[in-house]
Amino acid sequence: MPVGPLGLDPFFWAPLRLVIAVALALFLVLNGALLQIYLERKIQAVIQDRLGPYHVGPFGLLQTFADAIKLIAKEDVRARATDPWFFLAAPALVFCPMLASWVVLPFAQDIVGADLNIGLLYLTTLGSMTVLGIVIAGWASNNKYALVGGLRSAGQLISYEIPQILALVSVALVVGSLSMIDITRSQAGPLVNVFVLPFSFLIYFIAALAETNRTPFDLPEAESELVAGWLTEYSGMRWGTMLALSEYGNVTVVSSIVTTLWFGGWQGPGVDAVPLLGVLWFTLKVYGVIVVMMWIRATLPRLRIDQLMAFCWLGLIPMALLNILVVAVLALAFPETKIPIALASWLLVIAFIAGIPFVQRRRLALLRARASASAVRAAS
Amino acid sequence: MTVPLGAYIAVSAGLFFIGCAGVLVRRNAVVILMCVELMLNAANLALVAFSRRFGAVDQRGSVFVIFVFVIAAAEVAVGLAIVLSAYRNRPVIDVDEIRTMKG
Amino acid sequence: MSFDFVEPVVFAVLAFGVIGAGAAVVLLDRITASALLMALTFLCMAGMFVLLGAETIAAFQVLIYVGAITVLILFGVQFTKQGGDRSYALFFQKQYPLAAALVAAVAIPVALFAFSFTAPVPQPGGGDIRPLATSVFTDYAFAFEVASVLLLAAMVGAIVLTTRDQREEAARRRT
Repeated sequence: MPVGPLGLDPFFWAPLRLVIAVALALFLVLNGALLQIYLERKIQAVIQDRLGPYHVGPFGLLQTFADAIKLIAKEDVRARATDPWFFLAAPALVFCPMLASWVVLPFAQDIVGADLNIGLLYLTTLGSMTVLGIVIAGWASNNKYALVGGLRSAGQLISYEIPQILALVSVALVVGSLSMIDITRSQAGPLVNVFVLPFSFLIYFIAALAETNRTPFDLPEAESELVAGWLTEYSGMRWGTMLALSEYGNVTVVSSIVTTLWFGGWQGPGVDAVPLLGVLWFTLKVYGVIVVMMWIRATLPRLRIDQLMAFCWLGLIPMALLNILVVAVLALAFPETKIPIALASWLLVIAFIAGIPFVQRRRLALLRARASASAVRAAS
Repeated sequence: MTVPLGAYIAVSAGLFFIGCAGVLVRRNAVVILMCVELMLNAANLALVAFSRRFGAVDQRGSVFVIFVFVIAAAEVAVGLAIVLSAYRNRPVIDVDEIRTMKG
Repeated sequence: MSFDFVEPVVFAVLAFGVIGAGAAVVLLDRITASALLMALTFLCMAGMFVLLGAETIAAFQVLIYVGAITVLILFGVQFTKQGGDRSYALFFQKQYPLAAALVAAVAIPVALFAFSFTAPVPQPGGGDIRPLATSVFTDYAFAFEVASVLLLAAMVGAIVLTTRDQREEAARRRT
């Protein structure tokens, strides 16, 4: 019985569809990485009042192609003392979970790889598998700096998973489903979830910046720290896979989650008439979030590892727990409307933003007191 | 042709015995913890297999599995904490050497 | 031309993965290889859960075991210096055939007995998160609360066990 758009027997169509889906996902990841590397360099250039790449191709558009060709043509260097199996396996361990998470991203009404009814759970699961690859990469390099960088990065990633998952749970509480398509459909028209759950959005955005190792949380891969952390021994296309493809792929996945959960996914004007327009809106929204992330990278300085951990455990996690408490209590008390939840969330956001100067002032006073006490102790 | 229930139970039993043998045979404390995790996984497989094959509505097996996850995670955390603090006292990881309570 | 042969083939591959990786965890000398093969066991186990129709349990398996417990074990491996020589206890170093015979004598009848279980044709699974969540939060809510207290106790215990006492450290450094 022929099935599918090509009218093939299902025995042939099912594996062919699998191959096409994986090839499409790979195509999107590779091109997305190319585009994002170029965007990153141009945006940083604009913000830093310089030009960015402009030699290769019109407006430097072919610069990333040239970089990719250079990376592929590089010599495959592998230090002799590195572990033979794990050194080669680590880039795959970092790349594959990211590729696998593209299957549940809803690009348009019917254009989704697989509408799993545990879509959000699946995404968080894959996000937690990347940690393993990073630890193995750090350990297999047989390099003190790489090992410490890998362990630091692992600590950062597993710490920031918690507020990430808690923020996603609060959205699932309001929507009532974990399926990505259901979450998108629950946001009718322009009243997208960011008006109902802005506090969750804030928490998730900050935690996602940390999960994808973006500034201000990019200590593990910064060039001035620990020589380049867990990536030190990797060069050429291995580095390209781990850093460019995996990181920008992760950034795209995380931005897609933000778009689906808080900004209405594929919805926009004209989507009911032409369903394929949903892909355009989805892509525009995702790249809007990505541009904001790059803007943050060009603007903010980096956090130190202890500041990073303190911010997660003493700041984000209590806020995420408070958020869940408020959302759950209000969702149970007023099951019909979303207005109380929206009001409470906006109040929390305003309290958070207004409370920052007070918290900072107290911390500064504490640090000054501690510094003067130790100076007194050293002098005496 | 669907896979018979006995096949899942045989895999679970096999993994349990492998984990058990590992706990008895290996000397490294961390490897012993790993083999305990294997045993817990085998038990989970048996629970889920019976639960899914003997009734679609009754979720007791799967609920039990969730609690086994919780207990396994707690046990690994505390077990590793014990191993690390014993290691800090005397830097030996061989369980056959950590025999005396003194020193 | 139907897909009936897929399920037994996938089961055979996953079973081989589970048992093979499990055996490798016990037999290999290099502890990092053991840890990663344990992660492979967990992944194949998650595949088996999917084959049985319990996708939520499979997702939790990967999230908890591969994402957290494997990383914890790897941290434990990094912080302890592995001896290297003599991985196995003395009995099993000298008497391999006897040890293997003992294990087989117990394991083979158990495995054969396992095949005697018969079950009715499996019901279509199809997304079990809603009944599972309902069960956990209504019928077994007390057990859920106790489990959360257990996790809290484990966290506090692990932190207390591994906290370095500052004064004790300073005293140790001075002597």
